[in-house]
Amino acid sequence: MKLENSKGYKKVIKWLKTSKKKPFKFQTDAWQYYAEGYSGLVNAPTGFGKTFSLFLAVVIDEINRLEAVPKSTSKKKQSKRKPAGLKLIWITPLRSLAKDLARAMREVCRELELDWHIGVRNGDTPQSEKLKQKKQMPEVLIITPESIHLLLAQKNTHTYFVSLQCIVADEWHELLGSKRGVMTELGISRIKGLLAERHPERLLRIWGISATVGNMEQAMEVLVPYPNLLKTIIKADIEKKIDIRSVLPDHIDMLPWAGHLGHKLAHKLLPIIYKSKTTLIFTNTRGQAELWYQTLLALDENLAGLLAIHHGSIDHELRNWIEDALHSGTLKAVISTSSLDLGVDFKPVDTVVQIGSPKGVARFLQRAGRSGHSPYETSVIYFLPTHALELVEAAAIKEAAKTQNIESREPVVMAFDVLIQYLVTLAVGDGFDDTKLFFEVKQTHAFTELLPQEWKWIMQFITTGGDSLTAYDEFSKVNLVEGLWKVESRQMAMRHRLHIGTIVSDPMLKVKFITGGYIGMVEESFISRMKIGSSFTLAGRVLDFVMVKEMTVLVRKSKLKRAITPSWMGGRMSLTANLGSILRKKYNETLDKSHQDIELDFIYPLFERQAKISHVPKDDEFLIEMIDTKDGYHLFAYPFEGRQVHEIMAALIAYRLGKIKPMSFSIAMNDYGFELLSEQVIPLDENEVKTLFNPAALSEDIVASINATEMARRKFRDIACISGLVFQGFPGKYIANKHLQSSAALFFNVFSDYDKYNLLLRQAYDEAFYQQIEEPRLAAALHRIQSSKIVMVKSDRYTPLCFPIKVDSLRENMSSEELSQRIERMTAEAEKKNNKK
Amino acid sequence: MIVNCRAEELILSKERAIYWKSKALLMISDMHIGKSAHFRKNGIPVPANVGLTDLQRLTALMQEFKPKTLLVTGDMFHNNINSDANAFLEWRSVYPDLGVILVKGNHDDLKKEDYEALGIEVYTKELLIAPFRFIHDKPKNTDAYYNICGHIHPGVVLYGKARQRLKFPCFYFGSDCAIMPAFSVFTGLKILQPGDGGQFYAITPDRVVQI
Repeated sequence: MKLENSKGYKKVIKWLKTSKKKPFKFQTDAWQYYAEGYSGLVNAPTGFGKTFSLFLAVVIDEINRLEAVPKSTSKKKQSKRKPAGLKLIWITPLRSLAKDLARAMREVCRELELDWHIGVRNGDTPQSEKLKQKKQMPEVLIITPESIHLLLAQKNTHTYFVSLQCIVADEWHELLGSKRGVMTELGISRIKGLLAERHPERLLRIWGISATVGNMEQAMEVLVPYPNLLKTIIKADIEKKIDIRSVLPDHIDMLPWAGHLGHKLAHKLLPIIYKSKTTLIFTNTRGQAELWYQTLLALDENLAGLLAIHHGSIDHELRNWIEDALHSGTLKAVISTSSLDLGVDFKPVDTVVQIGSPKGVARFLQRAGRSGHSPYETSVIYFLPTHALELVEAAAIKEAAKTQNIESREPVVMAFDVLIQYLVTLAVGDGFDDTKLFFEVKQTHAFTELLPQEWKWIMQFITTGGDSLTAYDEFSKVNLVEGLWKVESRQMAMRHRLHIGTIVSDPMLKVKFITGGYIGMVEESFISRMKIGSSFTLAGRVLDFVMVKEMTVLVRKSKLKRAITPSWMGGRMSLTANLGSILRKKYNETLDKSHQDIELDFIYPLFERQAKISHVPKDDEFLIEMIDTKDGYHLFAYPFEGRQVHEIMAALIAYRLGKIKPMSFSIAMNDYGFELLSEQVIPLDENEVKTLFNPAALSEDIVASINATEMARRKFRDIACISGLVFQGFPGKYIANKHLQSSAALFFNVFSDYDKYNLLLRQAYDEAFYQQIEEPRLAAALHRIQSSKIVMVKSDRYTPLCFPIKVDSLRENMSSEELSQRIERMTAEAEKKNNKK
Repeated sequence: MIVNCRAEELILSKERAIYWKSKALLMISDMHIGKSAHFRKNGIPVPANVGLTDLQRLTALMQEFKPKTLLVTGDMFHNNINSDANAFLEWRSVYPDLGVILVKGNHDDLKKEDYEALGIEVYTKELLIAPFRFIHDKPKNTDAYYNICGHIHPGVVLYGKARQRLKFPCFYFGSDCAIMPAFSVFTGLKILQPGDGGQFYAITPDRVVQI
């Protein structure tokens, strides 16, 4: 029978008709493929019903199945609901998506008279609800990757999945490039395995929903690596209209040369907010969000009560309230970080503002899609630059959006830390058989290359502590019990459950009013710098610090209007290669005026100033500025490749310069270029630049130049947490055993000294090399420089181009001097300073 | 590095120890014997060699100074007695004439019999040997005695020009209190900010440097 003639299909079409809707072609395609037993990936713009493409497919299938069963006892059924068991697992990366999805799905089930329960399970789900689910799973479970692993850490998990039809990974592009993606892959592999062990005849479909990424095909292969499944990509043939506008100051001089706050333009935001129904204002960091909240309220008191702030460190009840208020349209504007990036459909939102560079095309388009959510509506997004040069980025993003030049997301592979956590998770649950599991794990994309000896090492790591060459006496964690590897200690199992996940942050403390009332969370390192009586802001409130008591920061409401804002240590994003290359082109166009971008016209005076004291690089030129100031001797170079590439390139150049003459540099960089600062004269002539930036012998020089140990040490922080070496501590809920306190850095040193072949160490180095160094991109940049015209400018003052780099506070050190020499010199300097006093 | 404190000569060793020559007294703090084994018991793999290195360093100090007494200002043992304590017992038997004194710290939870078996003289709160008071954590109130303590695992950051920085464990000598670095290599650092006029001695890989 054709799907169109089936009862389920007709019922769905009829229901859509009553609300004057017609399915899009990609939706009916998805329903058809699903009915034929396919797995795959759905790619459609936001707002066109991606959710329904798959949810209705499952619903149609179910209605048709019920139709096939003879209704002999239909009267009895009505008296008491007979649960059908878990049919669909819907994975979402963000908790905030779950509520909205559940609401939409419940409505569909009610309208179609399908007696299904829709359950939500994540960190915000109350314990009573979880217990209820344990007794009887709902038909649909909306869940995060972490909660899937928590489910696998329970006993008798396999009983949950006997009637499972389909697993959907929503917003798959968000998970794809992260360790949470690996968690998802592993979770799916286990659920698939559990079902296959007991019911090998049943088909489990695996579907993903993804926004456009540069590597669509690979995205599907990562999610559905199983050769025995039919798979396809369904791409919607619809284009979302996006209107991008820049917020411009009255004059270019009103925009600072450097900075990342942008609040000088805050007054320009007010008319936009008032003109719109509801505005979402996106910032790149939580700290920036707090500052903007204060700034806007100070500017216009009428906004009090109409303006809210939403980010990951805010109490979830408050977040829920904000999300509800967004739905009902009672808020005028919400300032948010990436916590509201994803698919939540807030109908009243008709305007989006992006403050500062979004760093990538995909992220910008995603945020734009938060407004004008319904099909055929135009998404309106304003770009508010935080410093003058970001105006060029605005022009670049416009062009990238037009040409759909969207970044790829590289999937994470060989994440041993995640695998270790996963194995202990299974050991905490029903236990596992290591020979069987090896092949199951090897089927996933992340661990296709896993070698038997690596697997053996990991098994040793969790059972005996490590290989026999290194003594690990008295180690106990995972033990063999009746043929299965299990964690027997209840205490260890509890501690593990509390630490499932791959999102590692600084230890966080709860913040509460001394009179009661929870506000949110801040990083311990921030609070440790606080003195009694000093103030800070959180969730838009100014608070006076009173004391820290039992992992909780007690505060009072402050009388002050302004205070410092905690800086949450989120990773700094780097400009993507796509955006970088368009950016270089835009520099060209600004100068020769071959463009239609008002942003570029606007910034022209600044370019003129740069041209007067230095030079504006065209895209076939490579600019180096040599500037002497009282701080020392600076070398500024501008490859426009993003801060990450610049970090490595700077270290490389510092190393090569150090070969000419031993010297120490401090390094700074931003997305446009990098700075080498030394207290000694930097020996470099214009005709030597190409030799210095030569791509030959790149690999060797990288190894010799970057402090690989330091980079790996940084990477090891996350690895140590994920693999369970270090406990993050759970704010308020669990105080880590004081006898087990340690730090990732300490483990890094200990393993480096005593257990060199530790796989987690190797992973730290691998991550540093492949994720941090991006060698191919670096090589491409150096090749480009070789074919560019070198322009070297000497100056005694900072230029508009170098200024943003200069004020960047994140710095690295690079030295070719001996450690002892450095220490001696530094102490001598310190003494000199003391004598002066 | 030799410092003069309350008219007593103290030698600061780069092996994170102080030698008080006139009393033939070697002082260390925060040894955390058994910390690595405690971690292993709780399913966190820390190589056993870590504890052995500490004992080897202690042996080297014994050979260098030939002290009559070893004084530990707290956190000698980490929580419970375990396999690492056996290694210490073995080490102890090599020096039967050495007096070992422990001023208890927050991690010292062994039974009385265990300390006796290991030949350790225990002081619960403090030990006074004029002009010094040996105590685990710095007391709130000061008196005529100069306090020598441990507990916080002090570290210091050296800054160079062009914003360079390096981190080291350190000794701290303030107006009424000295803080010793943690002896064990399996310990972290708490970075102290110079300011109140105290003197810092950074422990670099080669030697102790006054800052």
